[in-house]
Order: sequence, then structure tokens, then C-alpha cells
Amino acid sequence: MAPQLTLQAPLELPPHEVPNYLSRLWEEEHEQANGASTFSLVVWEPAWIEQQLVRLGRLPGPISGLERPELLQAAREAIPVCGLSPSTSPLAPELAWQLGQLPGEGSAEDLRGQQVDAAISRHQPRRLITLAPTLDGDRALETLVAAYCPLPEEGPMASVCGDVVVMRGGFGALEEGLQMVNPLISADLPCWVWWNGSLDEAPHLFEAVSLAPRRLVVDSAIGSPARALEVICHRAASGQAISDLNWYRLLSWRESLAMAFDMPSRRDALAHVVQLDIDVQGHQPVQGLLMAAWIADRLGWQLEHTSRAEGDGILANFRRPDGVPVRFRQMPVPVGTPSTHPGSLVGLRLVCESEGRSPLCVILCGETGGCMRLEAGGMARLELVEEVVATAVESAQKEVSRTLRGGHDSTNPLLSAAAPLAAKLLPR
Amino acid sequence: MTATLTNPLRVGLRQERVISPQCLVIFGASGDLTHRKLIPALFELFRQRRLPSEFAVLGCARRPWSDEEFRGKMEQALAPVIAEDPTAWATFSSGLFYEPVDLQKDDDLVRLGKRLEQIDRIRATRSNRTFYLSVSPNYYGSGCRALAGAGLLADPKRSRVVIEKPFGRDFASAQELNRIVNGCAKENQIFRIDHYLGKETVQNILVLRFANTIFEPIWNRNYISSVQITAAETVGVEERAGYYETSGALRDMVQNHLTQMLALTAMEPPGRYEPESIRNEKAKVLQAARLADEAEPWKCCVRGQYGPGGNSADPLSGYRQEPGVDPNSTTETYVSMKLFIDNWRWQGVPFYLRTGKRMPKRLSEVVLTFREAPVHLFDSAGAGPTANQLILRIQPNEGADFRFEVKAPGSGMRSRPVDMDFSYDESFGEPSDEGYVRLLADAMLSDPTLFTRSDEVEAAWRLYTPLVELIEQQPWQLPVYPYEARTWGPAAADSLLARDGLLWRRP
Repeated sequence: MAPQLTLQAPLELPPHEVPNYLSRLWEEEHEQANGASTFSLVVWEPAWIEQQLVRLGRLPGPISGLERPELLQAAREAIPVCGLSPSTSPLAPELAWQLGQLPGEGSAEDLRGQQVDAAISRHQPRRLITLAPTLDGDRALETLVAAYCPLPEEGPMASVCGDVVVMRGGFGALEEGLQMVNPLISADLPCWVWWNGSLDEAPHLFEAVSLAPRRLVVDSAIGSPARALEVICHRAASGQAISDLNWYRLLSWRESLAMAFDMPSRRDALAHVVQLDIDVQGHQPVQGLLMAAWIADRLGWQLEHTSRAEGDGILANFRRPDGVPVRFRQMPVPVGTPSTHPGSLVGLRLVCESEGRSPLCVILCGETGGCMRLEAGGMARLELVEEVVATAVESAQKEVSRTLRGGHDSTNPLLSAAAPLAAKLLPR
Repeated sequence: MTATLTNPLRVGLRQERVISPQCLVIFGASGDLTHRKLIPALFELFRQRRLPSEFAVLGCARRPWSDEEFRGKMEQALAPVIAEDPTAWATFSSGLFYEPVDLQKDDDLVRLGKRLEQIDRIRATRSNRTFYLSVSPNYYGSGCRALAGAGLLADPKRSRVVIEKPFGRDFASAQELNRIVNGCAKENQIFRIDHYLGKETVQNILVLRFANTIFEPIWNRNYISSVQITAAETVGVEERAGYYETSGALRDMVQNHLTQMLALTAMEPPGRYEPESIRNEKAKVLQAARLADEAEPWKCCVRGQYGPGGNSADPLSGYRQEPGVDPNSTTETYVSMKLFIDNWRWQGVPFYLRTGKRMPKRLSEVVLTFREAPVHLFDSAGAGPTANQLILRIQPNEGADFRFEVKAPGSGMRSRPVDMDFSYDESFGEPSDEGYVRLLADAMLSDPTLFTRSDEVEAAWRLYTPLVELIEQQPWQLPVYPYEARTWGPAAADSLLARDGLLWRRP
């Protein structure tokens, strides 16, 4: 479904007039419409790669912040131009940085926050606040406000309306404008904060908008692994709800691995794992570490030691509940067509050995990558279970939409348990 | 690590279909179904993290309970389950509310509307509501009218009604009820529940047929000679004499559960897996089904009633001796019948349906018997070569058997039948969700795939109308044969198949 535009042309207002304007908006101008009693959504929407590609004339405008196919195509085409490895994801922050080094003066209309993906608008957010930093760090704050009524798909349903607020400007200007944000968020409704960028940037802004009990949505595939995991661990431990899109993308891998051990006759092998290998795309390790940490947590392994392996890999030793050691190795591997998200899983191998039965080897392969490294090396003596894992290709907006559809005010306990272990797996 | 007896990697993987924020309103909340099925199913969904934080249950009944009393009664009924996870119950039960409501009183409905608005505010349930009519069937129509009159069904996207069985007691009453209900809400807001469709193994009929290429080419009159569908219970009428005396096995089991199994077994492949495609095919096949002899229906149906049985250590009462049953009752506790489906796929293939209480085993199954090999090349180790059979076990020991002939060990070339067995337990080792967990979740997700549509219900009633009319107008034409408790029904039922040279499967 195509993105929907705001009902009326956004009105540019001085920041201090926004709260009063919004409180009057429904009383005076939209008496017939119902203000949705749903939730507020605050989105940090830097769209750095899109902004840079537009500046370089490699992508036509407008700038939308939406993860559209043209953007991904233009980003893939720019990767070799920037001298980056072919395994680089089209959404990798290093691409944005490299693009920033190239000259260009292009510009386009900026519709971030005004063009709402249908996957999100169908949930009828009561208030959508978009923080849109500009490439020009010194740019003054602009504040746009509009009423927004997603059209019902069918039936006599009354239009249920919300409003959008866009704050656009340089980092400094956005920080100054922050005092306006909190009064705009209703305490009576749940509020989600979607940090659609690296957690390394704008830490003050992040702290200011992500106050508990607001529910956070982050993507640990973007930016510094240590910082992303630290944020997840800290917020989950404090009782705040935090969802990680990178964790969410592991669902098909977790399902495939669980499926391999559904048969009761094979389940005992889970108590006899001796080796776990994971291959990830490029040098972003978080998704692989979350997978390893989830397995370790579910099987009751204790982490003993972790170290850096040759080739930017990660080695670790676990100990099973029965005291037997488990070797873990995660390696970055090159892929021909990298997935949209940095560090996506490419393959997983789990080897189980127990007395009295032949060793079992479970290999899971992503459908877009190869598993040659995991398939090599003396597999002939093992009972082999090999599965191909379907790769979910969804835009970030659709992924967030799932979170908004049925939210929780606490963090998924499996993520809460896996994230601290994944953080410990990162070599210092 | 969470201690678990199940696959430890499986924990938490059922969260993919999370229900939208909403309030589930249960009418008849003081009744058995609420504390025996509905609240346990909701608590299970909560423990699986499939209910959002913005969720509430509003119990409604005439009794003047408070929220606290309602929570207390639910807590009492669910005590063993709560003991496993008291923290989860504390959170879940904070979303349980109660409002005394008589659906026949306008003032009560106004108060209900206000209470729902209040719950929307305190639980952020977004005016999204599922109304569950767990009330006497006599009130289904008026209940829907009352809800529509109060404007509570006006928004087709954010309101839906779940209606328990039985949906009508014959074709005319089902048609009238459909007319009323469809006048109150759109068809896609109405969820007619049949808990058999919540069973994993019933749903598996669809997957087995349409996810494999080996079955569909032979799933027709060219290869299948007959189909038997059985739902047998070991229990008697128990506490349900009041209801059962007015219903009997035909209305209680055949018109709904057995007919749903028939529809899933016999339907054409849907164009895609979406609710209307599946329901279209189910309705079509039921519209093509007929009693084997509509002009003289007593020739294709046998009724029975269980008499005393058991043994001296465990004597069992006959139906007429059960509390609440008329000592001269002619209500059937067993019924078997022969049907045909007049379409290209099934023309001439007999479908035999049977259900009964106080049978030797509790089981539900669908048995497809294939045609015999055209030439018997080999001697048989038994009385004769056995036709291939595919047995879909709905319950218990859920799974499937395929029976075929192999060479009997030895120097000769004699054949004998063997079974190739698939068992859910052995393959997955995971307990399936209780049917209500699945169906409640689907209703709250507005997914009607596993619910019966108005034309399906009417087609099912139309199919049995000659029998219903016979029982009501000329019951002597369809006598109720006694059978001893814990046997497979009256001898007349065996004759029904014997006329076709067949036997009921003895599972």
C-alpha cells in the first residue's frame, strides 16, 4: 500500500506555539472527527543515506525517511563508488559517512514525518512526532504541524484522526527544541519511541526522548555493537520495554533451529552440544551474538572466556550444565548480495556429541548466502540435518508496525536474557 | 534458563501473531464456560505474550458481582494453573473487570457503553472490542440486536461477535438467526465458533491435503471407495441432560463437528489460504452433499440410545436412568448415516458418519479407504488383501496412519497389511494449544478462517433436514435402538454398512 500523506498542508509554526495550536486543533477545526485514543509515536528519523544520496544527485527526491526500493538500489550502486567492500549493507552507517566525503549540492523537498508508511498509519497513531536532523548541523529549527486522518479501508467507520509534528533542523537546534516534545506526549496513552538510526549519535537527544515508561524500538544492527547492547541491557534491566528489530529478524532462524529439535528423539542432543559456529555478513557482530546468547541461555551454558579470532571473528568458551566445554566461533564472511541489514546471519552450525549415539550436526543456511565454510570439515561421520532459512525482507516500517500492533510494556524476556550475554561475548 | 520439559528452543516462538489492543466482553461470564475454557485460554495467551499490555476482559452477567468478586472467582477456578505462575496472574487479573448487565435492558446497555469507554481510557484498548456471547442460544439473536442497538457493532473494523454453538436447531431457525445477526453486523464481524476447528489435527487435514502433492491426485472417486468419519465418546450425558434431551447426537455432534470434518475432508482446494477462499469451498461441498436416500431417509440413518452396561465393579447407567433424563426418552445418543456428495470428485463414494456416547473408546478419526488392487497377484496372509487406508487421527494419539500391503516374511509371496504411522507426539513432542486458545486468538485477530460462515451453517442444517423432520414428525420411522454402554452402537448400524459389503473400522 502506498504511503499516505497528511490531510492538510503542514503548517509551519514557531516551536512555542505548537502545544497550544495542537490543543485547539481538535476543538475548533475538526469537531466532527475523533482524535484517536491509541498511542503516540516519536521517531528519530535521520535518513542520512537518503539525504546524502539526494545531495549527490544519486536519488531523486523527495526525502521521505521511508525504506523504499529506489533508496536501497541507489545505496547498493553507491557502495563500490565509495570503495567499500561488496559485503557492505546498503543501510550501513559507514556508507553514509563515505557518501558525506563526496562533493554534491543537490537538494529536494523534505517530507520526513509528513509521508507516513501505511504499515504505521493503519494503527492510527494519535500523535506522530518526527525528529528530522539535517545534514547541515547549523540549520535552525523548523516546526511543522498537520492533522492526519488515515482513510478507512472499508465500511462506515468514522475517520479516526491524529496529528503529526515534524521538528527539523541541525543537532543543536533539535536539542533546543526538545523541551517542546515532552508536553506533546499524552501521559494517558502508551508512547513508542522509534530510534531509526545509530544509537551512537545524539546521545543527549536519545536520553531525553526515551524516558520510561515509553517503549523503545531500536535496531542493534546499526552503529556500535557495544553501545547498542548496552542500551538494550540497561533499559531491559530497568523494566522499560525495549524492542530490537535486529532481534526480531532472528525469528525465522530461531524457529528453524527449534524445528530441528522438535522430535523428542533428537531433543536429548541439545544437552550434548560441543560446538557452535555462526557466520555473519560483514563486520557487524550483534545479530550473531544475540543468536549465540539465546542458544546459550536456553541451554543453560555459562560463558567462561571470549577473545578476538583472526579475521575479525569472535571465539568463546562456554560450559554446559554438566561441566562439558562448548566451543563457539563467529566469523564475518563475504557475501555477493548483502542483505539490507548489516551483520545478518549467513549460517549456523551446531554439533552435538554424546556417548552411545552418532554425533549430530545441524546446519542452517540463509537462503541468500552460502554455507560452504560450515559444510566443510569432516561432516561425513556425523548425522547431518541441514535446513535453509527463509530471509524475511521487510521494510523497517513494517517491522515497527508489528511492534505497534500488539505492544508490551515490558521487554521480551528472551531478549532480556540474551542481550547481557551477547554483550559479554564482545571481546574487550 | 527457564526450566522446561519441552524443547527449550521452542519457548517463546508462538508470539508472532500478537493480538491488537482490545477489550474482550464476555456475556454469560458467571457461567461454566468462562472459568473452564475462556479465562484459562486467555491466561495461556497472556503467558505466551500474545496478548498486548493494552488488553482487558469485561465479564458481564446478571449477577451483581464487583470487579474484585469476579477476579476472586476466576482465581479460585484457575488455582492449579495460577500456582505455576502467580506473578503472571497478578498482572493478567488486573485487566479483568465485571459489569452486571442484562442484555434485555436498555439502561444496562447504556451503562455497558460507558464502562467500555472507561476501560478504553484506563487500559488504552482503542475502542476495539470482541463480544463473546456465552449465553443461552435463545438469546443469540436478541443479544446481537441489543449490541447493535447500542451502537457497539457499528465499526466493522473494531467490533466483532463470537457466537457459541448450537447455531439454530434446524434449517429454519438457523436461517432466521442468520437473518437477525446479519442485520446487526457484517458477516466478517461474526464468528460462529465450532471448537473442533480449533484442534490442530482438524486443521492438519488442510495441510496434509494441500501442502503435499502425493495425496491430491488420488483424493477422489477414482481411487477412494468410501470414507468413514467417527467421533466417539466414552462419557455419558453427565451434567448436560437438560440440554441434551432437546438436542440429541444429531444436533449436538453431527450438524457441527462431524460436518466440519466432512467439509475439510471433501472440499476442493482453495485458490489461496485466506478465509473466504476456504469458506467458499467448504460451503460448496456441503451444498453438494445429500443423504444417501432423501426420499426414504430412514434407510440411510440409524439412531441408538445407550442402555446400562459396564461390569459389576464399574456399572454404568443407561441413558434413561441418568439424572434429569425422561425415563421414556427417545433422544438419540448415537447416530450413524450414509451420505453422498454429488460433485465430480466424489460422485458415488459413500461417506459414513457416526457419533455416540458411552462407546468403548474416546476417539475422532477420518478413514479413507482406497479401491482394491484390480488384480490380486499374491495370496494374502489374512482372509484377503486389505484395501489401502489412510486414517487421520483427530484425537487422541493425534496423527495419521497409512495402511498398505507388503510381502509377509517367508519363502512364499504372500502379502499382509502394515501401518506407516505418523504421530504428533513423536514428531513434535509439544502439547498443542487447547482449541479455545486458538479460536479466541483468531477471533480477536479478526481471522475468520476457522469459523463457520452463514451459508455453511445453513448448508449443514439443510443437509440433515429430512432427518430432523422425520425425528420430529414421524419418529417411529427412525426408531432409537438400544445398545449396551461401552459397545460400538446398535447392530442396525453395522447393517447400514453391511448392505454395501463394508464394516465399520474397529479402532
